[in-house]
Amino acid sequence: MDFNLPGEDDPRRIKVQQWFENNPNPTYAQLAEQGWTAPNWPAPWGVGADAEMQWIIDQEILRTGLELPYTINAIGLNQCGQSLLTYGTEAQRKKFLPGALACEEIWCMLFSEPSGGSDLGALRTTARREGDHYIVNGHKIWTSAADHAAVGVLVARTDPEKPKHKGLSMFLIDMNSPGITVNPIVDMTGEKNEYNEVFLDNVKVPADALLGREGEGWKIAMEQLQTERVGMTKPGVVWGMGPTARDLMDGLIATGRISDPLIRDEAAKAYVEGEILRLLTYRNMTNRINGKPAGFEGSAGKMLSSPHGQRMADLAKRSQGVAGMIRDPDVLPLPDKKWGMFSDWDYAYWFCPANTLGVGTQEVLLNVVAERVLGLPRDPDPTAKLPFFETTKTTARAAE
Amino acid sequence: MDFALSNDHVFLQDSAAKFVNEQVDLSPLLRPGADVSHAGYDRLWSQISELGWSAITVPEAYGGLGMSYIDLIMIIGETGRTLAPSPLFGTLAGAWAMQAAGSDRQKSEWLPKLSDGLKLALAMANENGSYDSTAPDVVAEPAKEGFKLKGAKSFVVDAASADAIVVSAMLDGRKDFFIVNSGAPGLDVEILEWRDITRQVCKITLSDVNAERLEESNDQVWPWVRDRLYLVLAAESAAGIKAVLDDAVDYAKERIAFGRPIGAFQAIKHQLANIAGVSEAAAALVQYAAWALSENDQRASLAAAMAQSYASEQYKQATHRNIQIFGAIGFTWEMKNHLYYKRARCNAELLGSPASQREQVVRILEHEAA
Repeated sequence: MDFNLPGEDDPRRIKVQQWFENNPNPTYAQLAEQGWTAPNWPAPWGVGADAEMQWIIDQEILRTGLELPYTINAIGLNQCGQSLLTYGTEAQRKKFLPGALACEEIWCMLFSEPSGGSDLGALRTTARREGDHYIVNGHKIWTSAADHAAVGVLVARTDPEKPKHKGLSMFLIDMNSPGITVNPIVDMTGEKNEYNEVFLDNVKVPADALLGREGEGWKIAMEQLQTERVGMTKPGVVWGMGPTARDLMDGLIATGRISDPLIRDEAAKAYVEGEILRLLTYRNMTNRINGKPAGFEGSAGKMLSSPHGQRMADLAKRSQGVAGMIRDPDVLPLPDKKWGMFSDWDYAYWFCPANTLGVGTQEVLLNVVAERVLGLPRDPDPTAKLPFFETTKTTARAAE
Repeated sequence: MDFALSNDHVFLQDSAAKFVNEQVDLSPLLRPGADVSHAGYDRLWSQISELGWSAITVPEAYGGLGMSYIDLIMIIGETGRTLAPSPLFGTLAGAWAMQAAGSDRQKSEWLPKLSDGLKLALAMANENGSYDSTAPDVVAEPAKEGFKLKGAKSFVVDAASADAIVVSAMLDGRKDFFIVNSGAPGLDVEILEWRDITRQVCKITLSDVNAERLEESNDQVWPWVRDRLYLVLAAESAAGIKAVLDDAVDYAKERIAFGRPIGAFQAIKHQLANIAGVSEAAAALVQYAAWALSENDQRASLAAAMAQSYASEQYKQATHRNIQIFGAIGFTWEMKNHLYYKRARCNAELLGSPASQREQVVRILEHEAA
């Protein structure tokens, strides 16, 4: 057991630093050539980095003032791209991965639909095979980055005769295809949109855009969601991103608000929770170094981190009192660095109800942990075993 | 970075688990009126001291095993999981005080006796439960030979069974540490009606009791010992959370209501899932604190206070949820649920409240920021 992270004199770090000295102001394409935009992937895409090496590379990229590649192209580099290594064809890897790794082609995840997000398996978008292509029709929603994405990772129903989870397939689609309309959603923060809705109207998708085999869509999507949840088991305020409880504590101390006894004890609680999330991140790193696959610890970690972020943001906001009810990003001082999307406590506070909605609601995660980790009985789903086309009738009957 | 237990740690944990599974039996406590003496408090001790558990972190130079605090929590996790009644807590506390405050001669005299079954206790808190270092609860006065102690201490774990008690007492305006033999004239030990009947907790009254001063006493002794006792309680609590979780999960799979196991209902499932998350979190904090203490890391005190505040607070909640999930049967004396509930409740007071440890956390961070 050793909680020390690689130091400044680590020879692996020094090598990375030397490259940055020789290549000031690199582009993401240059970083991708080094294999550093997805260091944990095997060559030629990454460098097969273990978790420590990945941590070193990330730190050195941040030092240059660049945003981390996997926050710019999260879906391509974190959640979905790796599925091509397992399920993709060589042609698919060559076509899709270089643009993703260079952060020149942003990806988005076309999963949730207006009729269901938690019950993702009941999605209604269809992909009908016609000769050498599929015709896609449907309506996706809560899609991050769809408004500037080049590639969409789509889950659609290819076989309505099969039960809901068995008839789904995954495609990599060109977001500029005719028939795709993207509308931004104004969320409750009123700031620049995070989410979009996407209409797919007779979109022609080449048959070779199918990832894996027909019917494997559910399995691949679940793997991707687990990876995404592991990534969210971090101490940042929203889904692991943005300021942490250490920043919160520093800000409360710097402003003197820590002396308020109604703030003080809760700040300590939040601090302890933040350190726990840091430790769970280290445990995930260790598991990856030791070659253990990402299991349900991602669900358990996100289950802890989402409400933690909400408590932190609430405490930061409460420390301002009524003054916090005015639009003002200057809630508590934060160190000057590239925070990415969540660069101030004010935005994080008004955004954080989404913490326990996105990438599985808190209730769905609690079910996942109860069922998959603790082995408790599964929730009944009267539609699970029926051919999908019959389930709409069942739902109607249940409602009566 | 390597957040994983070594094979040696796992082996130690497995052998400790085997021992407690075979030897600990709480059933005598499930009859009203029973106390630790009915549940193997003395019987377990001879085996525990033979295994060397009371001297596990004592340096080899003083006859101990010289192992780390990570090794220690492998064992405490198992005694905590099973609520094993024994004078281990008191003996660890007394031995650490002696290790920190004793001279080389004193340590050589006392610590090797641990492997022969020596039982110790540490008397720190006064009758109000305060650990205030300026309170004159016990006063030391020089005598012909050594010192005489006068006053009272309370919440002394395992005092009635101890062969010797380390007592903090006021001398020249500061708290020093003294050792008192259990048979010394003027020493009165009263066993308190401590609600956690898996532990023995006492009040001691000293009327001019002969005592030997621990020669290296200083004001850093108690914080050093306290951090280690935080670790012990936190490790007990983290293991206890897992134990009451497992019991509640098993029960929720068996107990049928409305035609289904109660564990099929989200109202139950979600409570259990939350406890599962807390259980992982508490275990991670405890392992981190054990590592930090073993490495003498600069965040060791912070880690210990974090572990104790979180694990004991969450243990309270988990044992309460455990009783709720069992329903009314979990409220009866004949079930062991209440033993865990009481252990949890008492662990969250014995060394001060979780809020007091959080106050320590904030003070350390304020100090770091200044």
